[in-house]
Amino acid sequence: MIRLQRSMLKGLTGSDVTVQSVCSALQSAVELEHATIPLYLYALYSLDEAKNAAIAGIIESVVVEEMLHMTLASNVMNALGGSPVIDQPGFIPTYPGPLPGGVESELKVNLAPFSMDQLAAFLQIEEPENPLVFNLMVTAETPITIGQFYTAISDSIAVLGNGAFVNPPRNQVGPDLMRESVVVTDVATAQQAIQIIIDQGEGTSTSPKEQTGGRYAHYYRYMQIQKHQRLVPNPNGHSPETDYTYSGAAVPFDPTGVYAVPTNPALPPGYSSGTQQAFANNNFNYSYTNLLQALHLMFNGQNTRAEFNRAIGLMMSLKGQAKAMMSGIPNAAVLAGPSFEYQPVNPGV
Amino acid sequence: MSYLNALRLHFAGQFQANVSTVNNDPAHYDNAQFKASYQTLQGANMRPPNGWFNPQGDGTFKLLGCQVMSAWTAQGMVSASDAVLGCIVADADERVCGKMADLDPEQQLVSEIWGLQMRIANAQGDTLLQGEFEPAAFIDIWDRATGSSGGDTIAGATYQSVLQNLVWGDISASPFLIALQAAATDGLLSIKFNVDGMNLDFTSPDFMCGRVVGTIGPATASEPVHLLIGRQFMAAPGPNPNFFVPLGGLNFFPAVVDTAGGLIYLDLGNAISTNVPGGVMNNLGDLTLNVYDPIMTPGNPAGSLDPIGTIPATGPGGYSSDPTWYGRTAGVVVLPVSAQLLSLIAARPLIMTGGPNIEISEWSSGVFVRADTFVYRLSPDQSTTIPVYAMQWGQPLQGAAISFVLDPSQLQPTPNSWPYVGTGPAVAAPTTAISFNASGVTDSKGVAALSLSTTDPGWPRLFASGDYGIDGQVYGIRASFTNGVEYTGPVNQWNFISVLLWSGFAPPNPVTWTEVGPILQQYANLYPVMSRFLDLGDYDSVVAHAGILTLAFSLDVHDPNSMPVTRDLSPAKRAAILSFLANPVPGKAQAKPEPTHAPAAAGHAVVGRSPLPQGGKAAAAARRLILQHP
Repeated sequence: MIRLQRSMLKGLTGSDVTVQSVCSALQSAVELEHATIPLYLYALYSLDEAKNAAIAGIIESVVVEEMLHMTLASNVMNALGGSPVIDQPGFIPTYPGPLPGGVESELKVNLAPFSMDQLAAFLQIEEPENPLVFNLMVTAETPITIGQFYTAISDSIAVLGNGAFVNPPRNQVGPDLMRESVVVTDVATAQQAIQIIIDQGEGTSTSPKEQTGGRYAHYYRYMQIQKHQRLVPNPNGHSPETDYTYSGAAVPFDPTGVYAVPTNPALPPGYSSGTQQAFANNNFNYSYTNLLQALHLMFNGQNTRAEFNRAIGLMMSLKGQAKAMMSGIPNAAVLAGPSFEYQPVNPGV
Repeated sequence: MSYLNALRLHFAGQFQANVSTVNNDPAHYDNAQFKASYQTLQGANMRPPNGWFNPQGDGTFKLLGCQVMSAWTAQGMVSASDAVLGCIVADADERVCGKMADLDPEQQLVSEIWGLQMRIANAQGDTLLQGEFEPAAFIDIWDRATGSSGGDTIAGATYQSVLQNLVWGDISASPFLIALQAAATDGLLSIKFNVDGMNLDFTSPDFMCGRVVGTIGPATASEPVHLLIGRQFMAAPGPNPNFFVPLGGLNFFPAVVDTAGGLIYLDLGNAISTNVPGGVMNNLGDLTLNVYDPIMTPGNPAGSLDPIGTIPATGPGGYSSDPTWYGRTAGVVVLPVSAQLLSLIAARPLIMTGGPNIEISEWSSGVFVRADTFVYRLSPDQSTTIPVYAMQWGQPLQGAAISFVLDPSQLQPTPNSWPYVGTGPAVAAPTTAISFNASGVTDSKGVAALSLSTTDPGWPRLFASGDYGIDGQVYGIRASFTNGVEYTGPVNQWNFISVLLWSGFAPPNPVTWTEVGPILQQYANLYPVMSRFLDLGDYDSVVAHAGILTLAFSLDVHDPNSMPVTRDLSPAKRAAILSFLANPVPGKAQAKPEPTHAPAAAGHAVVGRSPLPQGGKAAAAARRLILQHP
């Protein structure tokens, strides 16, 4: 399980709770949810789907929900009168590095092609908290889990009360645009939104399934890759631990179906300027920055179908570009992975 | 007003036109004969037949590293402190980039740019001005690089259009942009850019990139969008062209006279050749602009050339000696004209002369005629009016009779010979499906109306093995002065109207996979990029992606995300696809490409042989009907 710095709870407990402090935590939440997306996309697009379709499908399904989580956190923030900041260089984490708010000594994440080691890092990110451990960890010095972080936000929202929420709904990206999203207008809908984030990431304490959508929580979805089999209900189960087993259809991993792209491509020396890799990477990063700018608009008042479609178009463009770069298009001798860096100007070759 | 005006900026940089090339061969539209190997990158000399030089192209058009190089007002060059001088010219920063589309596989010489948003931004990328580029096709393609042999890489061509839906940012640090905003009273800017030096080497970081150099100025709604009302210098054809070789060494170019200011603005941006593709201008000698005085005297039986001004080739700032000249000026040259010469040039032809054999002039009558927009896509039973502009001595020409005739000579049906995998269908038939007035007379704005109406052409471009073949039919229509005796001179072969007329399409209700499968399979065959997203030829894959496909097929065709990127889908077929996606009724399975046994990434050029791609435009130009049946 990934652990966050205790300072992430600042302003979320006791008399410290203010709208501003909760919005600050929600901004961190938006950044944290986003931070996993480049990791998962890099692994996803490094896979040759002809050889690793099942794994690719699992990772893609998680990425889509991370985008939903970004949306939900933004909706809560907007409902409290805050304004998510997305189109800034500092919004993107540096790879390798800790996740935003993470304890540096615990998990440094790498932008890396798919491997079982990288999967282990994903599992660590998504691992649910152990209630027993949880009891030990709420001492003053110890870090917190992502689940605890969201629970603290949820609790702090209750402290703020319905009076803190903007009505009519403000800058909400609702289910008309993003399936399973929640329009946040009060404590109840805010807590509903946050609970979806917790459930989809970690599941509940009694089931590997998220309550929304009925899919497995991210951790269990990824475990299927590690166990090489689908998680399926066990008709003979008699407890939460035995109600499901990794005994379904195969989830095979073919190591020859991973493109040989570099790990952490932004690390010096990076791609030499004037190379095909640098050219493709610049184009990708420019599109990626454009997406952050489009999302910033969408989460700051331009919550229209047209803006949403522009963001979708950029996501499709990024997918096409990343798959080309990683699979050696146009030059089979030249592979590259996108570095996911903020780049508001495309320098060309 | 237009880009060729006192108030203007010049920019230069690179573009990428990442077109897909599987559709370069019209026979690749035959689903039944399609082979998976047609999606692979070409090997040496295109044997065996394959996907040409960029089968994985995604159709994007990007502006890369473009900088504002200079800016001008009526008072001259703007001061160094004007913020516009540090600006970039970029494409969209909050949506995807523009797209390139050919009209048709049998008319590939009017490639259009769609969905392009252009911005002037500071060095950090913050937008000072944003506008939507009205889709435009290139024209005046020619063999610009004279020191290289063949292929698309030697080509130069030009785009003219307008930027609309202007959004101005904080321009307070740029007196130039403040002046431009004040001049753009109709919310329009005029833009013209020249492209050359396209790189087709897939091992180069510049692959599918070239040089772009252009000019932006104000526009008004009363002007044509893609055409200057100005003086038109007309080149006669020279020998052995790939695309077009001007006999007098200078390609077609326009000029505008500012009578009040005593100036003439010449746009030589696509007129001066280079040695290497995208290189510095060749030295064609000092270029002198003259007005021809036809008055014959005993001592001067041919009349005389009165020089107006000279553009030096060499020395400081010479167009050939100074490597920064082209970027700084975009080829725009302003010459002062004395009062005496101004009155002379008002009704006499201009001639530019240079070194040995370098010469280009207006027609002796000073007239010119061209359609503003010259690329059209039409459905059966549709009518449209095409404005055709006539001008004389740079002014609208009223009362001129204009003739309109079918002219398929520049269309490009395919012979059954290498590198094509089969015979392409005949073009421009049936002629009965397209009707228009044989002539018109220009109004006070110099505009003659070409009234075009269509009927269903049927299925003239089916292949023997069935399916839908290539949709509809392409036609060419040429406008010319009816009075060909008085109004005569070199004709620009590219100056004609291209029309894609779609076939009627009335599928049963509900629409099933049997009807839409062949359409989508053809896209899957021709655009391997789609396989990064789904298998368009597979019912289950299409149904699994119905949501995103419905979105993409529903978008306005001007939206850069509109599917298909190629803008070649008829409204009737689009409606059928959307109907199917809403209720995907299964049907007959589609003919699948014959599989290749080579791995997907192994179709690349044979190592050790340098790629010598001819290119798609050069191949299309080489199979024009006029060359097949001269």
